[in-house]
Amino acid sequence: MKLNRRHLLAGATLIAASRPGLGRAAKDPIRIGVPTALTGPYADLGNQVKRATDFAVDAANEAGGIDGRQVEVRYLDTEGRADLAREQGEKLALSGYNLLMSTIASGEGLAIGPQLQRWNAIYISTVNKADDITGKACNRRMFRVNHPDSSDVAVVQPWLKQQKQRKWAIQAGDTAWGHNSGMSFSNAAQADGRIVEVEQYSPFGTNDYAPYIQKIVDSGAEGLWVALAGRDAITFAQQARQFGLLDNVFTAGVSFIADNQVKTLGDAAKGIVGIINYSSTLDTPGNKAFVAAWQKKYPGTTPTNFEAEGYLGTEVLFQAVKKAGSVVPADVGRAMEGTTFATIFGDALLRKEDHQLMTPNFFGYVGIVDGVAKPIINMTVAADVAFPQPNGNCKLTG
Amino acid sequence: MIRIAVFLFAGVAGALLPALLGSPLLLTLLTQAVINAILATGVGFLVRQNGLVSFGHAGFFGLGAYIVAVSTTNEWMPIGAALLVAILAPTLLALLLGAAMLRLAGVAFSMLTLAVAQAFYELAMRWRSLANGDDGIAAQLPGRILGLDSSLFQQAGSMFVICWIVLMLVLFGLSVLIAIPFGTLTLAIRENEERARFIGYHTILPRAAIYALSAAIAALAGVLFALYNGFVTPNVLYWGLSGEALVMAVVGGTRAVWGPALGALLFFLLKNAAGDLTEHWPAIIGGTLILVTVLLPRGASGTIALLMQRMGVRTA
Repeated sequence: MKLNRRHLLAGATLIAASRPGLGRAAKDPIRIGVPTALTGPYADLGNQVKRATDFAVDAANEAGGIDGRQVEVRYLDTEGRADLAREQGEKLALSGYNLLMSTIASGEGLAIGPQLQRWNAIYISTVNKADDITGKACNRRMFRVNHPDSSDVAVVQPWLKQQKQRKWAIQAGDTAWGHNSGMSFSNAAQADGRIVEVEQYSPFGTNDYAPYIQKIVDSGAEGLWVALAGRDAITFAQQARQFGLLDNVFTAGVSFIADNQVKTLGDAAKGIVGIINYSSTLDTPGNKAFVAAWQKKYPGTTPTNFEAEGYLGTEVLFQAVKKAGSVVPADVGRAMEGTTFATIFGDALLRKEDHQLMTPNFFGYVGIVDGVAKPIINMTVAADVAFPQPNGNCKLTG
Repeated sequence: MIRIAVFLFAGVAGALLPALLGSPLLLTLLTQAVINAILATGVGFLVRQNGLVSFGHAGFFGLGAYIVAVSTTNEWMPIGAALLVAILAPTLLALLLGAAMLRLAGVAFSMLTLAVAQAFYELAMRWRSLANGDDGIAAQLPGRILGLDSSLFQQAGSMFVICWIVLMLVLFGLSVLIAIPFGTLTLAIRENEERARFIGYHTILPRAAIYALSAAIAALAGVLFALYNGFVTPNVLYWGLSGEALVMAVVGGTRAVWGPALGALLFFLLKNAAGDLTEHWPAIIGGTLILVTVLLPRGASGTIALLMQRMGVRTA
């Protein structure tokens, strides 16, 4: 018998019919673009985000994908700079990785936001803290799963009432988040009858904090509020310890007692208090499963707060893709609005009014656990208290 | 006539490019490259006509961009007026600075240009209430700009055509300028200022005018940058951008007015290709610059002109 095209076609149809799934077109993959700080002062934070995203993507693919879709991720370095974030975000989005996540500096997220419609992309903040992300700069394509400054303030206010220090100093980064945090703390302190003696903002990547420390010492402040992260936080804490500032002035902060910073500072961090946005000891089924899987993959470690926040972003994204049945950014975005997601913090609502995920927030101190300095939670603020109402400045344009 | 025909042909050929390129990523990269080409043209023209190296043209570029962003965000003036001020203010500033700084020669002049640009950088970093510091500022563009839908300025396909036409107009204008007596005079001053003065010419004002013109071109590039990106950060004022523009001019060569623009296109494409290959892309750029300087001292345009000359074709 001579083989002709009709025979070949019939044969191919038979083979396709005998192999389930082979005849169907594969679903589009989930393509995640992560423009983040892999070098520069925020490199440590960016690499934590990268580790967590890799962890989530590998886990999803090993389990057969999300809703039958493979997950792909691509990272580009932004050095924590707003202009580079815009450039790298564009590169990622226009090359198909248009589900963007996890820049570090708030300025980066604010630079990406206005471009999302033009790039046909969405952006999920997992680290940016400036209120404007879900406030006056919010738009239909921008979402946040981490705690904004306003949520941290909701934690600080009741804590501050219990403190005896009357005179305070503020040391923050000269960035959108630094100013946001400094102003919020200043307002909270003054509303409680405290005096802010010094409020100073150091440029991103400062190496010499001596003039700032001297000014705090000279001011006679009894308490110090610090809003610094990454290398800036470590440099400041080390120099403050050398100058004896941390021994003489009660020190508290936000992002200042993050896991990796405490690990790097060791004993120098002991006694510092502050806002803790996540702890691996969180008692929820989702978190227990996450920590167990993390320890299996990275033995001898527990997830840090920035790793957990990065993972939280992927949890929300994957569930939204499943709900939307699509990887088209606008569809995924719509699926996020007003949806309750199963997360490491428990069930959490992503508010449709300002695109903010509502999770509990925490306060704690640096203590010694098994001979190692670690942030320890001693106050939990429920999600509805930490996120009292949608940001009124958000008009959700675009 | 030949000059007009050449620029018309180049203009039309470039304008057809978006229809031929399918990739939006490539189009956006090319648009950014053309904006850089306009900046490099300004820097290269200063080298060509005045024999002076500026380490501070990012100052004029950034000033143009910031004036657009700040004035639209604060609704200080209509967009047409904002665009005009964004080009005129840096030009006037350069004219005044030039009249003072051009009395200094060589490195001293270059250092002063650097100092002025860095002063604007520091201003943008520290004047947070106006420029939002390190976080940058978004330009709140109106629905229509100069009678055109503002989305035309923010989509790569249309913006590439706009920028390409602007580049062609700038190059055409400069090629006319170097052919008229004023162009010859500035070249004569560049070659021997004392002799030009001795035969009765004022030497400072023509050189200041060239400096102001090169600043205007840089500011024009800054305006296009702000319109396209809709976002400006202090890095547009930083000396690193001035250095990049100078490298583009060196790679392209400054003997032809179109050399720096060619250098900018080569630089931008090389930078992006190298950036995709490795995080250490500056090493590749540095190596290329060394090779070009050693092997092609006239730059890419000089080499092309030399080859064309050997084939009997005249170039501008």
